[in-house]
Amino acid sequence: MVIPAVGTLLRVSIILFVSAAAAALFFSHWQKLCNTASNIICMAASVSGISAAVLHLLDGGERVVIASVDTTVPIISFDLIFDRLSAFFILGLCILVFCVSIYSIGYVSHFYGKRSVGLFQFLYSTFILSMFFVLTSSNAVFFYIAWEVMALLSYFLVVFESEHAEKQKAGMIYIIMTHIGTAFLMIAFMMMYAYTKSFDLFGDSSAIPQQARNVMFILFLIGFGVKAGVIPLHIWLPYAHPAAPGNVSALMSGIMIKTAVYGILRFVLVYLGVENTWWGMTLLILGMVSAVLGVAYAFVEVNIKKLLAYSSIENIGIIFIGLGIAFIAFAKGNQTLGALALCASLFHTLNHTLFKGGLFLGAGSIQHSTHTLDMEQLGGLIKKMPVTAVFMLGGSLAISSVVPFNGFASEWLTLQSVFGTIGKGQAVLNIAAIVAVAALAIAGALAAASFVKLFGISFLGLGRSEHAIHAKEVSPVMYTGMGLLIVPCLVLGIFPSLFLKLTDGLVTELAGKSAAGGLEGPFMLVNYPAAATGNSVSPLQILAALAVLLLLTLIVLRLVGGRYLERKYGTWDCGFEALNSRMQYTATGFSKPIQIVFRMLFRPSRELKLGGNYQYHPESMEYTTSTEPIFEKYVYAPVVKMITDLSRRMKFAVQTGSVHRYLIYIFVAVLALMLYNRIA
Amino acid sequence: MNSLTYSILQLLIIILVAPLVNGVIKKVKAFTQKRKGAPLLQMYFDLFKLMRKNTVVSETSSWIFKATPYVVFTTALGAGLMVPATTLAAPAGFAGDIIMLVYLLALGRFFMMLAGLDTGSTFGGMGSSREAMISSLMEPSIMITLFTTGLIAGTTSVGGIMAAVKGMPAPLTQPVFIMVFLAMLIIIIAETSRIPVDDPSTHLELTMVHEAMILEYSGRHLAMMELGASIKQLVFITLLVNICLPLDQLVTLAGIGAVAVSLLLYVAKVIMAAVIIAIIEVNTVKFRFFSVPNLAALSFILAFIGFLEYFVLWR
Repeated sequence: MVIPAVGTLLRVSIILFVSAAAAALFFSHWQKLCNTASNIICMAASVSGISAAVLHLLDGGERVVIASVDTTVPIISFDLIFDRLSAFFILGLCILVFCVSIYSIGYVSHFYGKRSVGLFQFLYSTFILSMFFVLTSSNAVFFYIAWEVMALLSYFLVVFESEHAEKQKAGMIYIIMTHIGTAFLMIAFMMMYAYTKSFDLFGDSSAIPQQARNVMFILFLIGFGVKAGVIPLHIWLPYAHPAAPGNVSALMSGIMIKTAVYGILRFVLVYLGVENTWWGMTLLILGMVSAVLGVAYAFVEVNIKKLLAYSSIENIGIIFIGLGIAFIAFAKGNQTLGALALCASLFHTLNHTLFKGGLFLGAGSIQHSTHTLDMEQLGGLIKKMPVTAVFMLGGSLAISSVVPFNGFASEWLTLQSVFGTIGKGQAVLNIAAIVAVAALAIAGALAAASFVKLFGISFLGLGRSEHAIHAKEVSPVMYTGMGLLIVPCLVLGIFPSLFLKLTDGLVTELAGKSAAGGLEGPFMLVNYPAAATGNSVSPLQILAALAVLLLLTLIVLRLVGGRYLERKYGTWDCGFEALNSRMQYTATGFSKPIQIVFRMLFRPSRELKLGGNYQYHPESMEYTTSTEPIFEKYVYAPVVKMITDLSRRMKFAVQTGSVHRYLIYIFVAVLALMLYNRIA
Repeated sequence: MNSLTYSILQLLIIILVAPLVNGVIKKVKAFTQKRKGAPLLQMYFDLFKLMRKNTVVSETSSWIFKATPYVVFTTALGAGLMVPATTLAAPAGFAGDIIMLVYLLALGRFFMMLAGLDTGSTFGGMGSSREAMISSLMEPSIMITLFTTGLIAGTTSVGGIMAAVKGMPAPLTQPVFIMVFLAMLIIIIAETSRIPVDDPSTHLELTMVHEAMILEYSGRHLAMMELGASIKQLVFITLLVNICLPLDQLVTLAGIGAVAVSLLLYVAKVIMAAVIIAIIEVNTVKFRFFSVPNLAALSFILAFIGFLEYFVLWR
């Protein structure tokens, strides 16, 4: 069999994505055909992309030029170049797109007759294509264009179902925030050109002086931080992800926010090169704050998609902790530790793509089937949607990083890299590192609690509304698409060496040292790399041990206890005999203790309204609780107010409407330009 | 002694000693109240009886409810295999470390909290909600404590840590180990649902946490949940006594005899720890639920100061 070259596969992939978009428009009158055709073409395109990425990660050394288009401006060329770093992220993108496209065949059917399926599929395919270009462009201007197109297309997808004012607001916050980020990126790219006279991402950055490098790091951090949703730049994320249709939020949370991680790796690590310890420290601190606050907000959320969105902030935080440790290690010249931390960070990036993509698809299924995402309206879905429930549970376990899922594997690597960072006699770094351990611990525990809440309240117990009681299992394509994302979570958790082998080349290329170099034992049953800290665990062995223990337990139970006899009976109701769904613990109630403990953070308020004429015998009661969004209130609101106030004052001071004044402005401007020209 | 034989031995010790700890605690409590108390081996009788009884399963519940006892029990046993009772024999024959230990127990807890919600009972939900809070607040302190000991030993493997502290002259005279000891004592109390965090001997909805989650269980399911909880308790006690009070270096024999003496020492240490826990339990009242964060904070700060003392201040 002849394996086609990586470049060919990628060209095929791009052409197929383009034709998916074309098919969507061409068939837009035949909704069903349009949906099926464009999604199947997307699947084919991603298969091609996956094969190219895997081939390149395993044995590709040289960069592959996919396409090269020169423009009339000599410094700007639209080159698509594919190296191992691109390959890794393209792999995540294509795996996710493959599964989401299967899912979409079923999911998009609820747009039939209500919305333009052709338009949706066109936006969907071009959005994927824009991410593809972001990940492969080799010229900063082209990168910037692709980045901007990605932002705009995702905005259109967020507001696709925009009849609710809330969704319009979500889209507005998203588009403003993302443009603030883009502005910072633009300044960074301009600095890049100012010092090196080139926009080439693979170019030499040694001409940039130290101070400018520091400034550029900050600019890149803010620019990409907005897209990643790092606290305090996260405010768009919990609005935009829930507003988007289910399959789009899976793409946005699964891979779009990872393009920011790609950006940081590409521009900071590869282009600038890490020299200062404080860069890593900044990432580490941002990561810790995002991880803890993100998951704390997730835990008190009652809307499934909002919970997932906040949890994305937490996971980005974990990725940033890994990146921070890696950058610190690189700045100190400890390449082995840097390789381990980088590997941990990349592993978590891929893991989050898998399980968060799956969980968002699950949320989409719940919405598809019950028309609500409010946990207070759900309950008992495990009996109505058994397959979705199993995958949702798998995703929840994986994201809670319990043994033996992939979340554990990457968390273990992250903790090991923190372990390796701590050494005697370095006060600040030691304290930061041990606080990172505490942050990871509380984030892990709260994540588990959040997903117990998500799964327990929505899928277990009794249905809390008509919607939940009459829910039906979604179509097989939908749960297949979801399952294809969740099953690899378990596989990667049990065989983490698969990932380590796959990315070994990439890590070696970026860090100069292999993180998987110390892999021992036969394939598939190996320990983690012993290179950096010399510790190892084997999830497969633990799983085997647990299986043996389970078997022994069953045998002993059979021998001692005899046959298993079971009686079905109602839940204990204190003899009240009228246990109903309203007596169950609610989602709000479940997270109330944490809300009270961290009231400094949440600033909860409650309001009780009594109806009727008598104070002591109210006829109706209305109880509302709310938490205060502190970042919006104390960080963003003052800035917004300042800008609106300033604009209002400018309106009267500068833009008066008087022609004479405008003529003076023009005159002064011309004069100033002439003077500038004279001096310069 | 090869590692498979020792793993089986370790398994037996864990299963046999775990209920004894509960017996000792109850007996000490009874003595202080001038009662005779239940026999020391009462829990074994209870478990034996529960295993032979029929089980009642709630109509509302799903397969999660029935799967949970098996998950909780096997993860507790798996955790038990990871903390060697003695450092003189080959450690359990598979690779696990402190991080895996914590996340393995998290798997059991995840399912236990789900089971609490599965029956649609208010008690279950209440127990799960409270457990979610307590476990989240205790987690940083557990990780920092274990990490600090791991860093001192230079490894995250449990056996490795225990072997390393064995070589140190009297760990409990060093400030860092005193801090670790106190922090772990609080962790044990919180993680094993003991007074002042939770009260294992009552079924009063104001106070219960762990009991509320397993309220709907009966028969062999209950037996597994109870034994699982007591194995988890023993796992934490083993960590405490084998890290802060290593005695294996005193054993001068060789071969099987050494292992036997070491195991006897281990059982003695565990009983001592059980007595300490019982004394704490007798002398405190249950805290108000929202005072528990103070305890968690205390444990966290102790562990943190221990770390600072060893890694920042001293060198």
